[in-house]
Amino acid sequence: MIISKLREAIICFRAGRVTLPYPFAPHDPEQGFRGRVMVDAEKCVGCGGCAEVCPPRCIEVIDPEPDRRLLRFYLERCTYCARCQEVCPEKAISMTQEYETATNDRNDLHMEVEIFMSTCRRCGRCYEPPTPLDRLMVTGMRPPAGEAEAT
Amino acid sequence: MTSAELIGKLRQAFGPQIQGVAERVPGKVRVTVEPSAIVPVSKFVYRDLGARFLITAGVDSRAERGCFDVDHIFSLDKDKIFLILRCSVPAGAAAVNAITPDVPAANWAERELRDMLGVTPEGHPDPRRLVLSDDWPEGLYPLRKDVKYGDWPPVSEEPAVDATYPFKQAPPGTSTVVVGPFFPVLEEPAQLRLFVDGERVVDCDYRGFHNHRGIEKMGDSELTYNEIPFIAERICGICGFIHSTCYCEAAEEAMGVKAPPRARYIRSLMLEVERVHSHLLWLGIAGHILGFDTVLMQAWRIREPIMWLCEKITGNRKTYGMNIIGGVRRDVPKEIHPEILGVVARIEQESVAVLKAIQGDTTLKMRLSGVGLLPKEKAQEFAVVGPTARGSDWDIDARVDHPYSAYDELPPKVITQPEGDNWARVVVRILETLESIRWIREGLRQMPEGPVRAKIEEEPPAGQWGVFTVEAPRGEAIHYVLTGGNNRPARWRVRAPTYQNLQALPYMIQDETIADVPITLGSMDPCFSCTERVEIVDAQSGKAHVLTQQDLLRRSREATERLRRG
Amino acid sequence: MAAGIVSTVVTLVVLIGLAPLAEGLLRKLKAIVHSRKGPPILQPYLDIAKLLVKEDLAPTRNWVWRIAPSLALGSTMVVALLTPIGSAPAFGFAGDVIVFIYFTSLAAVAIILGAFASGNPYAYVGGSREMMMMLSVEPVMTIALVVGAIKAHSLTFGGIMGSGATSGPSISMAVAGVAFLLALQAQVGKLPFDIPEAEQEIMEGPFIERSGPGFALFRWAMHARLLIFSAVLISVFAPWPHVGNWALSMVLTLAKMGVVLALVGVADVVNPRLRIDQSMAYYARIIVFIAVVALAFAIIGA
Repeated sequence: MIISKLREAIICFRAGRVTLPYPFAPHDPEQGFRGRVMVDAEKCVGCGGCAEVCPPRCIEVIDPEPDRRLLRFYLERCTYCARCQEVCPEKAISMTQEYETATNDRNDLHMEVEIFMSTCRRCGRCYEPPTPLDRLMVTGMRPPAGEAEAT
Repeated sequence: MTSAELIGKLRQAFGPQIQGVAERVPGKVRVTVEPSAIVPVSKFVYRDLGARFLITAGVDSRAERGCFDVDHIFSLDKDKIFLILRCSVPAGAAAVNAITPDVPAANWAERELRDMLGVTPEGHPDPRRLVLSDDWPEGLYPLRKDVKYGDWPPVSEEPAVDATYPFKQAPPGTSTVVVGPFFPVLEEPAQLRLFVDGERVVDCDYRGFHNHRGIEKMGDSELTYNEIPFIAERICGICGFIHSTCYCEAAEEAMGVKAPPRARYIRSLMLEVERVHSHLLWLGIAGHILGFDTVLMQAWRIREPIMWLCEKITGNRKTYGMNIIGGVRRDVPKEIHPEILGVVARIEQESVAVLKAIQGDTTLKMRLSGVGLLPKEKAQEFAVVGPTARGSDWDIDARVDHPYSAYDELPPKVITQPEGDNWARVVVRILETLESIRWIREGLRQMPEGPVRAKIEEEPPAGQWGVFTVEAPRGEAIHYVLTGGNNRPARWRVRAPTYQNLQALPYMIQDETIADVPITLGSMDPCFSCTERVEIVDAQSGKAHVLTQQDLLRRSREATERLRRG
Repeated sequence: MAAGIVSTVVTLVVLIGLAPLAEGLLRKLKAIVHSRKGPPILQPYLDIAKLLVKEDLAPTRNWVWRIAPSLALGSTMVVALLTPIGSAPAFGFAGDVIVFIYFTSLAAVAIILGAFASGNPYAYVGGSREMMMMLSVEPVMTIALVVGAIKAHSLTFGGIMGSGATSGPSISMAVAGVAFLLALQAQVGKLPFDIPEAEQEIMEGPFIERSGPGFALFRWAMHARLLIFSAVLISVFAPWPHVGNWALSMVLTLAKMGVVLALVGVADVVNPRLRIDQSMAYYARIIVFIAVVALAFAIIGA
């Protein structure tokens, strides 16, 4: 039994101290880490594909006027799955390396992208669904929960 | 026995009562029988054919055919067959004969059927509520299609304070120690009522499902096919990948999609990586339960490099987000293979050192040996799964019994121990870790080239079914998917391994001391979040010195309302 | 007179005031074995300070509940004054070994009373475990000290230590010392014998209903027991080398106590917790037997 305790002690001492100094020193995640969502509004065409595939439904598509579209992001619900990044045809939306997103104020996690649309608003051809399973259920509008209608 | 022989045997015994047979995929058979015959057929399948009960799925098919379908899923392990016994009960008379008296393992499954779907199992020995809370109104069955996902039960002015759970009474001469609803050891919500005589446990009663989250309902009504893998991954806080893999494989089977070979290897690779990290985590927790924090710290230190590796491969330490219907989303390119091999080599070296060190540790053995005994016959009666079963010398393993992903080409070794006590389960898990590492090496070497996502050309057809099991670190998880129209499934049934294992807990802790209850429970590696898939958010806002139960209920409901609106 | 006041103050500072520091050092040792950084060594002081300013919630109006923490720390302070650190204890005139044992038991009884007064089932389990530990470990300590008393023909610590200085090492004292050392782990409530407050099993056991100041006093009493019992162990059973000077003797004893504390810390970190029946079997059968052997040796004069 003493031998086994000694063996255990050897395992412990050989490891040294492994405590990282975070949060007193920064700690960067690996490359390709799926962190906070960021949208490049210059590239976004307002297709709504990201809103379609977002599992927690944190992207809302609103058309207040015929030529203006709002994409509202409620990132407190974001699960960091990166589906939006995957389907975006313009590579406008991406996941950053930022993981320290906790905050007391919900508004810090809200984003809004405002896009001026010209004639094209309903066809959905700017968004190519990768598979029939990812098709836009309704182009232009995001259906309320549970009542999706096919195009 | 082939599936044709199985069908032949069933027809021979029950000919006229069999209404239909469907075999979509070789080895997965669905037999529809008359409701009156469900008990004799189940008994025949369980006793005479030696099948193992997996789960019961209830489906609300009133819109299509005016009935409820009750699917009892069995597995014939040695023949690699899944058998689903379906009976349809009319909507007006939603009751089915309970199979629990003949198939003891179906105890919880039938209680859940009654709670969630409203189909009463008649003749069930324990007809108490399992999932729904005590003050949930009668007649509101969450999994029925007419109950919308966002619905709340009607809030009455006077909360029903006298709705209490009918716990078992303490046997004479014993006192009751209530452990929970915040379970101190595992820091999870579960309530275990121990009836003790001094320090010895005479009997116990279990009440769980406090944190039920509504995941199956979400899958039925809210999410599309490709969104479900992401919620499936969050069923469990440790073994998420198995749930997303199991769902994707079941859905792919239902839709007739085949993931490409490289994707299947990647899935198996990540499954084995998850197994390594889960078993090391468990080893730490077991040490912590025994008060041996050194084991906790060292096991988790050994495990940390694999979490960083997963972050590099998948983008996150635990919720890999790799699975999608048709394959995986990210490739594991050749450049990263040497790093994977390096990390697992290091872990293997350290795990072997830990195993050698603890094998001679008498104080540790004093706490673990001979405690929490589960003999093989009892294990088979409760139909436990995973290391709990393999520690009792029962060699079931979904990777070998129903091969999936890359395991048909590269089967792992099934590791069993004969003793059936807590120590046996510790050894099984450590040896499984080493076996997983061996598999990872072989798998990386054998991984074929090719695409990682299948091309899906058409919309998936409705009305198809797929059933799949995956060997999670805790045991076998099963997903049952029925496709529906409109890009979402009609039913998605999940059974996590702990659901089945927890039913054996009362037997295992009988005649143990209170001190041994946590480690016995811990040796089953319970994952309560896997077991419970519904969540009701509850928040206490203020705190007064004296609050009646009325006040507490009212405050908690107000707080929930605020959260819902805000 | 002045010497008496000085020795009283120094004793209290060393045994009570430095007790959290000893605990902090043990936590640091534990952290090193765990491969982590660990809390600063003054952390127990910060913990006690934090606890003292918290609200004192009481589940009952029972007066036993209210006095239990003060009784525990108070009796521990009396014990500290009766403890020899290298030379005769500060209050050696007021009490001898019997009074010492009485007051240490009183501290344990205070824990038990506080547990039973709380009305919590976990506290009952913890209290009954503490009782069983006491019943199995106290006899060992008592017999070991009685061995010293028999050798010295005196029941005072001063007498026992003086006799040890003149007569030198003996078999009975060595065996009794071993028994006392083995009993030490349970007396100070460290693994593998921290059964009464098993956090994972019964959620802190006797202290589950304590909050704030009550908990702080209990914790302080537990930390002080660490130093007190190691001081007795060293002063009575390992008093060499002998130096005449009172202060130098204390410093030497403290250094040797450091060794004992390191042993306690190492045993704490490499062991899981035992069950109460296993621990009682260990003490009430094996260790008591060792102590009785020492007693037998003492009686025949060896």
